[in-house]
Amino acid sequence: MKLTQALKMAAKSISGNKGRSALTMLGVIIGLAAVIILVSYAQGQNKAMEAYYESLGENTITVYASAYRDIGVDIAQELSNYCQQISEYVEGVTPNAQLWNINLSYGVQTLGQDQDYDTRPTFYLGSDQFALCNNYSLMKGRDISYMDIQRLNQVCVLGAAVADTLFGMVDPLDKTVTVNGKPFTVIGVYRPKGNGTTTYNEEGTNWQEVEMSRMDRIVVFPYSLSRILNDNQSSDQYTVKAKDSKSAKLAATYIKTFLQGLIPEDSGWVDVYNEGVYQEEQGEANKLQQYFLGGIAAISLVVGGVGIMNIMLVTVTERTREIGIRKAIGAERRSIITQFLIEAAMICGIGGIIGIIVGYLGTLIVGKLAFDIVLIPGAGITAGAFAISVALGLIFGMYPAAKASRLQPVEALRAD
Amino acid sequence: MLIDIKNVYKIYNEGLESEVRALDGVTLRIDRGEFVAIIGASGSGKSTLMNILGCLDVPSYGDYVLDGTDVTELTDRELARIRNREIGFIFQGYNLISALNAYENVELPLIYQGVSILKREDLVMEALERVNMADRARHRPSEMSGGQQQRVAIARAIAAHPPIIMADEPTGALDSRTGKHVLEILHTLHDEGTTVILITHDNTIASTAERIVRISDGQIVADSKDDDRLQAEVAREGGAGS
Repeated sequence: MKLTQALKMAAKSISGNKGRSALTMLGVIIGLAAVIILVSYAQGQNKAMEAYYESLGENTITVYASAYRDIGVDIAQELSNYCQQISEYVEGVTPNAQLWNINLSYGVQTLGQDQDYDTRPTFYLGSDQFALCNNYSLMKGRDISYMDIQRLNQVCVLGAAVADTLFGMVDPLDKTVTVNGKPFTVIGVYRPKGNGTTTYNEEGTNWQEVEMSRMDRIVVFPYSLSRILNDNQSSDQYTVKAKDSKSAKLAATYIKTFLQGLIPEDSGWVDVYNEGVYQEEQGEANKLQQYFLGGIAAISLVVGGVGIMNIMLVTVTERTREIGIRKAIGAERRSIITQFLIEAAMICGIGGIIGIIVGYLGTLIVGKLAFDIVLIPGAGITAGAFAISVALGLIFGMYPAAKASRLQPVEALRAD
Repeated sequence: MLIDIKNVYKIYNEGLESEVRALDGVTLRIDRGEFVAIIGASGSGKSTLMNILGCLDVPSYGDYVLDGTDVTELTDRELARIRNREIGFIFQGYNLISALNAYENVELPLIYQGVSILKREDLVMEALERVNMADRARHRPSEMSGGQQQRVAIARAIAAHPPIIMADEPTGALDSRTGKHVLEILHTLHDEGTTVILITHDNTIASTAERIVRISDGQIVADSKDDDRLQAEVAREGGAGS
């Protein structure tokens, strides 16, 4: 029997048993779509986490250093100098001190200490490297400059959410705001850090979203203004931006040693903290979650496979009789196996393609609902899941046929 | 000599307590062009005999020479070829494939034979016309009556013009009028030179055959070829029965 004939025969058999063919395909479709959606969900989750940590500040080192009494050194200046010495690891350094007793007003609006935690901005003292170290970029105007620090210019840069709250549609640049009664000029606005979908609505439903918007609710002043904004207390917190996570670990060690040498143990305290460590922990947690979702995907593939197997096996009796008839009128074993193989491959192929389409649509919907991003399944998982479900269909479609074709025709005919 | 079986046994569960001797040493010769009816009560082994004659089953012991070929020596593939080209089967339960229409069912043995599509069309339509089913070519088995299904099954059996037709209770599931029609078709085939082997428990039908073989408990107990009285006896029994 020629291959074209076997193809035609398989097609006839599929269209001749529409109900059975549809049920078998359904097994493949569900199995395949479930795997694609679940694995893509896990990947989307991972992507969202990565994006979050990246916006938190990848490769940053947080340094706490202050002296109880005057030890005759400017820690900010010394740290800045030291970081230039180890510039092969470090990209920048900035004081990163939070200011507490600040009220900032423009027109009738006042932001600051009287607001609750979820809505008030965070006020920072920073250097010209504040944006670099904290992964901000400018949307409008300019950043704090070295001259602003030297000349004690009363200027500030606003986070996107603060600019939005105070000015709305009005251009904030060169507007004068009042900070603790003193006039300050707005020189720049940072680009929002959220992925563009973060709402500034304070009724944030998701902690991640609230954190995201908090990052855009900041105001930064030149650190030299600690004299007028912070009772002349200089910054005790610094952020160092390292070149990569490996450098961050090294630099953290160097900086700690340097500062411990600079500040005697009885005159102050030093603490150096590498974000990378925290990220690693989260990476572990993520991995666990991925294993978990991978497990669910594997189970759904097995369930899909069992579905395929079931429907294939359920029709065995019917097929056994058909094989008996075919053998009785002169079909060779080979013709029968070829026909059933092609039939199973056709059903699984068609079901597989529909399953992939359903899986893609499902993934898009899940991506939109869960992460608000365009989530597309990876080619690897798609191909893998397709291959597995086709293989399952072939094995379970072929096995009963191969078995029945080995029977004497009269035995196969007896099946009922 | 077309069919020559010698001391054929078919034994199930041999050596166990449940041992069944479906055929218990059968020897039978059938010449080309004969019309043989094999009769016997149910469970007598007549269907088993036909299955072995038709190469649908293999004997436990014994020899079977079909048209000069020792069938017991053949491979699976060679047996398939014999079933395909030498023998046309008509079953009691029709055994049509439900997913295929009448035309496709009749076409099937021709496909396995490798007949070209054009020639197939001629042969299929010719066979369907012979059984008066040409107008139902596109109907599925589920859309046909029992008699119509059996006629399609006959068309399938004769489509490739095999030299032997084997029919196992071909009228068993049909009413007497349809049964008569089926029997007429078999006789026409016989008149054209086809060897027909018919299995039946119905003596009226058997009595129309030119030779009758009676089987009981897996053994041939009478053969009209050796004993002229069997023919008359069967005819009388058939008359009494109907």
